[in-house]
Amino acid sequence: MVLVLALGDLHIPHRAPDLPAKFKSMLVPGKIQHILCTGNLCIKEVHDYLKTICPDLHITRGEYDEETRYPETKIITIGQFKLGVCHGHQVIPWGDLDSLAMLQRQLGVDILVTGHTHQFTAYKHEGGVVINPGSATGAYSSITYDVNPSFVLMDIDGLRIVVYVYELIDGEVKVDKIDFKKTATTTQASH
Amino acid sequence: MVKKQVPEWLNSSLWSSSTSSSSPLLPPPPSDTDDHGGDDDRLPPLSSKPAPSMHSYATSPSYGSSTVVSDSRTKPPIPVSPPAIVREEPPKREVKDVRRDDDNGTSPNLSSGPSPEEISRQAQLLAELSRKVINIGELRKLAAQGIPDGAGIRSTVWKLLLGYLPSDRSLWASEMAKKRSQYRHFKEDLLMNPSEITRRLDKSSGLENDEAKGEGKGLLSRSEISDGEHPLSLRKASIWNQFFQDTEIMEQIDRDVKRTHPDMNFFSGDSPFAKSNQDALRNILIVFAKLNPGIRYVQGMNEILAPLYFMFRNDPDEDNASSAEADTFFCFVEVLSGFRDHFCQQLDNSVVGIRSTITRLSQLLKEHDEELWRHLEITTKVNPQFYAFRWITLLLTQEFNFADSLHIWDALLSDPEGPLETLLRVCCAMLILIRRRLLAGDFTANLKLLQNYPPTNISHLLYVANKLHVHPSGQSL
Repeated sequence: MVLVLALGDLHIPHRAPDLPAKFKSMLVPGKIQHILCTGNLCIKEVHDYLKTICPDLHITRGEYDEETRYPETKIITIGQFKLGVCHGHQVIPWGDLDSLAMLQRQLGVDILVTGHTHQFTAYKHEGGVVINPGSATGAYSSITYDVNPSFVLMDIDGLRIVVYVYELIDGEVKVDKIDFKKTATTTQASH
Repeated sequence: MVKKQVPEWLNSSLWSSSTSSSSPLLPPPPSDTDDHGGDDDRLPPLSSKPAPSMHSYATSPSYGSSTVVSDSRTKPPIPVSPPAIVREEPPKREVKDVRRDDDNGTSPNLSSGPSPEEISRQAQLLAELSRKVINIGELRKLAAQGIPDGAGIRSTVWKLLLGYLPSDRSLWASEMAKKRSQYRHFKEDLLMNPSEITRRLDKSSGLENDEAKGEGKGLLSRSEISDGEHPLSLRKASIWNQFFQDTEIMEQIDRDVKRTHPDMNFFSGDSPFAKSNQDALRNILIVFAKLNPGIRYVQGMNEILAPLYFMFRNDPDEDNASSAEADTFFCFVEVLSGFRDHFCQQLDNSVVGIRSTITRLSQLLKEHDEELWRHLEITTKVNPQFYAFRWITLLLTQEFNFADSLHIWDALLSDPEGPLETLLRVCCAMLILIRRRLLAGDFTANLKLLQNYPPTNISHLLYVANKLHVHPSGQSL
C-alpha cells in the first residue's frame, strides 16, 4: 500500500501565491511515501515545502523552474510499476496524447506523469497510462485561464493502482477515483 | 520420550544454594550425583558437550523431566508409563535454539533431574490431565508446586488454569476450534490495511473493472467516491485516517517486539523462525490493542506475552504448536485481565491502580518483617515504586531469567484467588530473602540490589512465599 502524490505546475510565486488552503490541510507529512512533481514549481521554497511532506521527492524540470538542475525526465520503480515523469513542454503538440504515448514508449514505463497543460487527464493506450495531474494551484497555463486546482494521489497495491483525483471546484474539494490493474504481460514488446 | 528442552547449559546451576557459585558450565563434583535431599539433587552431572546430550536424550530412559543430560551416571529411571507424546523434532529445535542463548551462567532453575518428587509430581499431573473431567482445583494445587518441564505439560496446564480449555476433555477440540477461528476473524477484520478494505468493498459492490491494460485506448473513466473515503481524508471515521492514527501504536508495538528477549533465538535474530515468532507476537498485540481501545498497547505487554507464546509454540503437539498464536491471544487476554488496571495511566492513583498495589506490597512487608520494612522505607527511603513497579507490572519476567520466570508463573497462574495475591507474596518473599544485604545497605546499594535482583533458588523463593500465605504474621526466615 504505497501512496504516491503526483502534482505540478504550481507556478509559485509568478502565477499563484500558494497552494489552496484546503489542499494544504490535507497534505500532512507521514502519509505519503513518494512525490512525483512534473515541474514549474518554480522556486526553491516550494521544493522545501514538498520535502516536508515526504522526503522522497522526484522532480523534472519545467520551462519556468528556477532550479536548472532538475532532469528532463525521470523514471522510478515503485512496487510492480514503473513510473515516468516529464514536464511535457518538450512534447509537441502540447498535451497531444499520441505524442505523449510515444514518449512513454521511449521511456518504457507503465505510467507517465506529465503536466504543462494544467488540465487533469488520465488516458490509456496500448503502451500504458498517461496521467496529467493538472495544476495544484490553479495557475493559468499557456493555453487557458480556466484552470481548477487539482492533483493526483496514487495508491499502489501490488498489481493494482487506485488513482484518487483531488480537484478544487467552487471552493470544495472533490475526490474521484480511477481504478486499474496492470496485467502481468504488459511489458511484452508488441512490435 | 520427550526429551525436549533444557539443554545442558541450563543445568548449570549457579543457584545451588549449598555450593558456592562455581563456574557455570563445569560439571559439579561427582558427589552431587546421588540422591541428596534438598537442592543438590537438582544437579545431575553434566556431560560435556551438547551433541552427546542430544543423543542421550534419545537413549536415556529417564522420564520427561528432561534436563538430564548425561547418561549412565544418572539415577536409575523410575519406571512410569510414558505419555504418548514422543517427539524428537521439536525438542531438537528447541534445544538447539535455547542452547545458543545466554549461557553465561545466569542459572535457570529448571526443575530438572530425576528426583523422585519431580517424577511423582509429573506423574500426578499427567494422571490428572488424562482424566476425562479434570479437577481444576486439584490441578491448581499440583501446579503451585511447580510444573516439570517435560512432556509439554506446562502449556496444557497453563491453558487449563487460564480457562482457555474447559475442564471436560471431550470439549477441548471443539472449544479450541471455535476460539481459533474467532481469532482468525479478528485478524482478518483488524489487520487489513485500507487499500485492501477498499478493494474488498469495491469487489462486493461490483465495481471491479477488469480491462486489461494492453487493449483499447481512451480516456479512463472516473468514478465517484462514496462518502469521501480517500487516503488524505481527515474525517474521524475514515478508515484511512484511523489507519494513519494507528501507525503510531503499530510502530511502538513493532519496536517492542523486536526488543523482546534479544538473547533468545526464539525471539530475535534473523532466522525465519524468529521472524515468524515476532510476527505472531506483533499480530497478537495489534489485535489486542485494536480490540481494547481503552488501554491500547502499553510498553511491557510484550514481556507478559513472551512466556505464554514461548510455551505454547513449543508444545510438543504439532497441532497446538501451529495454532499457538490464537491460543496465546486468548490466554494473554486472560492473564492481562487481572492486571489491566496497572497499565492504565489514569488509574495510577486510584484504588485499583498500580500505586495502590505497590502500597499493598509495602503493607505486606510490614506485616511480615517490620524491621526490614522500616529500614527500607524509612531509614534508607527506598520508595517501593522504584523497584516494585517493574516487578508487579511485568509479573517478574524481567527479574529472573526466562526459565525461572516460567517456574514462577506456574505458581502465579495456579492461585485460585488470581495471580495478584501470589505475586505480592512472591515479591515480599524476594525482599525477605535478601534481608541481610538490604539491612546492611544504604539507599544506593539497596536500590542497585533490588533493581538487579540476584539469582536465587526459585523453589526456595516460592516456598517462602507460600509460607507467608500460611502464617500471616510469621517472622521472616
